[in-house]
Amino acid sequence: MSDRTGADELSAEAWLVALASLPGMGPARLAAVLAGRSPREAWATVAGGADGVPEGVALRWRAVAADTDVARLWSAHESAGVRVLAPSDGDWPAGLAVDPEPPALLFARGDPGVLARPCVAVIGTRRCSHAGREVARQLGRELSEAGVCVVSGLALGIDGAAHAGALGGGAPPAAVVATGLDVVYPRRHAELWQAVGDRGVVLSEYPLGVWPERWRFPARNRIIAAVADVVVVVESHERGGSMHTVESALERDRIVMAVPGSVRSPASAGTNALLAAGSPPARDAADVLVALGLESGTRSRVAPPVPAGDAGRVLEAVGWEPCTLEQVADRLGVPLGPVAVHLLALEQERWVQQQAGWYERVR
Amino acid sequence: MLAIVPSAVLHGVEGRPVRVEVHVSNGLPGFTVVGLPDTACRESRDRVRAALLSSSLPWPLRKVTVNLAPSGVRKQGAGLDLAIAIGLLAANGDLPADAVAGCAFLGELGLDGTVRPVTGTVPLVDALHAPTVVVATSAATEAALVGRHQVRAVGTLLEAVAALRGEQPWPDPPDPPPVVPPPPGPDLADVRGQRVARLALEVSAAGGHHLLLVGPPGAGKTMLAARLPGLLPDLDDPEALEATRIHSAAGETLPSAGLVRRPPFRAPHHGASAVSLVGGGTALLRPGEISLASNGVLFLDELGEFPPTVLDGLRQPLEEGVIRITRARGSARFPARFLLVAATNPCPCGQGGPPGACRCSDQARSRYARRLTGPLVDRFDLRVDVSRPDPGELLTGPSGEPTAEVAQRVLAARARARRRGVRCNAELPAPRLDELAPVTPGALRLLDMALRVGTLSGRGLHRVRRVARTLADLAGRDGPLAEEDIGLALQLRAEPEALGRAA
Repeated sequence: MSDRTGADELSAEAWLVALASLPGMGPARLAAVLAGRSPREAWATVAGGADGVPEGVALRWRAVAADTDVARLWSAHESAGVRVLAPSDGDWPAGLAVDPEPPALLFARGDPGVLARPCVAVIGTRRCSHAGREVARQLGRELSEAGVCVVSGLALGIDGAAHAGALGGGAPPAAVVATGLDVVYPRRHAELWQAVGDRGVVLSEYPLGVWPERWRFPARNRIIAAVADVVVVVESHERGGSMHTVESALERDRIVMAVPGSVRSPASAGTNALLAAGSPPARDAADVLVALGLESGTRSRVAPPVPAGDAGRVLEAVGWEPCTLEQVADRLGVPLGPVAVHLLALEQERWVQQQAGWYERVR
Repeated sequence: MLAIVPSAVLHGVEGRPVRVEVHVSNGLPGFTVVGLPDTACRESRDRVRAALLSSSLPWPLRKVTVNLAPSGVRKQGAGLDLAIAIGLLAANGDLPADAVAGCAFLGELGLDGTVRPVTGTVPLVDALHAPTVVVATSAATEAALVGRHQVRAVGTLLEAVAALRGEQPWPDPPDPPPVVPPPPGPDLADVRGQRVARLALEVSAAGGHHLLLVGPPGAGKTMLAARLPGLLPDLDDPEALEATRIHSAAGETLPSAGLVRRPPFRAPHHGASAVSLVGGGTALLRPGEISLASNGVLFLDELGEFPPTVLDGLRQPLEEGVIRITRARGSARFPARFLLVAATNPCPCGQGGPPGACRCSDQARSRYARRLTGPLVDRFDLRVDVSRPDPGELLTGPSGEPTAEVAQRVLAARARARRRGVRCNAELPAPRLDELAPVTPGALRLLDMALRVGTLSGRGLHRVRRVARTLADLAGRDGPLAEEDIGLALQLRAEPEALGRAA
């Protein structure tokens, strides 16, 4: 039963957490059970059988509520260092204050206050090119150096690269994830996840212990779109999660910018379609800062010195689209051997990156 | 009365001499075969009896004992029929004992008295010491390949008996079938573009380096692999005889010229069982695909679709060049020195290649990569990413260099390798690499760089040097390995982790 020792001292947040942890509880239902009741009263209602929801759901809630120790649930969140934000909270992100589909609660690890800075979401596909990854990393770092809070989803690919870049700048980053804050997904980003939480904030609308499920990711994307002032898509396939974020952003009148890519790269098909549809291009951080209304400064673009001689010709032949050793040699009309040597040297000097036989110029 | 007739049975790909001892004595009429015969062997009693009666030859109404010596070795198959029948006639006094002396017999009998060929004639004849060997007419050419014996070919039991009695001359050996030159294999000239893949084929053929082709469907991986055997030189005499023996023992048709001179090309489907690949079986220890591919090419298309347990079975033979099959009833040793060529899609959707093109989920990719990584992929010296050719090049591009020209370079490179005391550069022993494959300072810098960045492992280093040695040999350069040899070898290398890396 809910009323156990210490129940009286529990804060309203504790009851909210318990309500949000019920199975099948979403923002709409939470709003319905909270209508005209305090969270504690709402919990009592649920434990006695809620009305206004399908009977099956009400019965399940009653069964789960009977088994839930609200105090323990609350102390689990407290000891995990998770802060619970309600819309009435002072730290509730401004971007979500007037949202058409706001989350009922937000769980935060870190300082949610960082979202008071200008926020730019840097997002994109998980199946990105090396070049895209490098662009995301550079955008993340330069925006962060300019004092912008870089928001993303901690996913593999572009998201992770943007976060990694932002951690190298000055301003704290923010992440919105689609799982409970104790469930690190993807596992490979555990370190990044930790670092973003330490330096900035990791947000989720789900209580502890919620596992990743397919439908939670588009839901998470709407929060990213809502908290950001500008959404920059670095690379996106024609369809995919990034395009969901873009839709959510457009519904909320956010500025959506796209990084131009090669017309032959499938990973840039979505972003190029956005450009064709009229999105402003984001060639670098300066473009984004202008869109934000921040002075971009007069950083002149200093082109790095291009290697001279044969190496330079090989680099030129590589071009800006992925290509193979064979293609480079064909373009130059020379034997494979010397080209192979130059490509290895260019890779060593980080002009190009190679994977599975494909070379990409990265700067 | 006792008669002893030499014959042989097959064990794996080797023949084993068997002495067929027939004893005819007074007693209750009966016929016993002793000396570990298997079922087919034991049934020879019924075939021999019917064949004798059909040929109007006498069947002794006495006690007959047939011993197959050495009696501790299991005998398989029906190949001893002819020897038993001849032995029986000799023991019964129907054939003069001295007529049979110095003759060995190989053949299965039909109930009407015809003599039929046995599988594995080449290794069986090879195991016989008698100066004369009598075989079925259709096996005469095969039997003559061994070259040490006088081969007599008979069509029926009666012909053999008449010749042994001296009533008729031995039948003329059948005319050797006209030597049809084997149809030329597919030619490299058909491959347009694909410079890197062509180079990899050449290096693989010249240096004996195992090759992994990675690419989307339709890129031409299978087409390329099928052109590899054409680049390999003809087998020399011992190799050819070994290959012929294996093919004969497996019951494969031999080329019309007799010896298997061209390197075999075997491409088992990925549904193949472990036993069919490495050899084995319960009753008869049969050579598997890897032995049939010995001295040639084993091509595994869709490597990722082969069950991991099957692929694991290839590791030991790849290392040692032989496979030992052991069963409760005995063990056999098959040669298995083959060039391994495998093809695979880069990922389940097959579209991987240019970064960002793949539609697979991360889990699907890593699952796929896990099937391919591991100890087997570690054995490949060369890995080439084959991409779909440019349509323009396919239609109007110049046709490539023909197989004959490339094969010349391969032959020359192999000759250089032989001067170092190995068959090919893949066999260069690691301790002697400094002496046999030294590197120029510039090339050393490249290697140092790759090792530092971590794209090259210690084990990979030796391989890169061997492959670079082959590249230099193909270019006709002796002396230390130049920068571009090492550079190209680094481009062509197969690092197992490269497959597993996510996009």
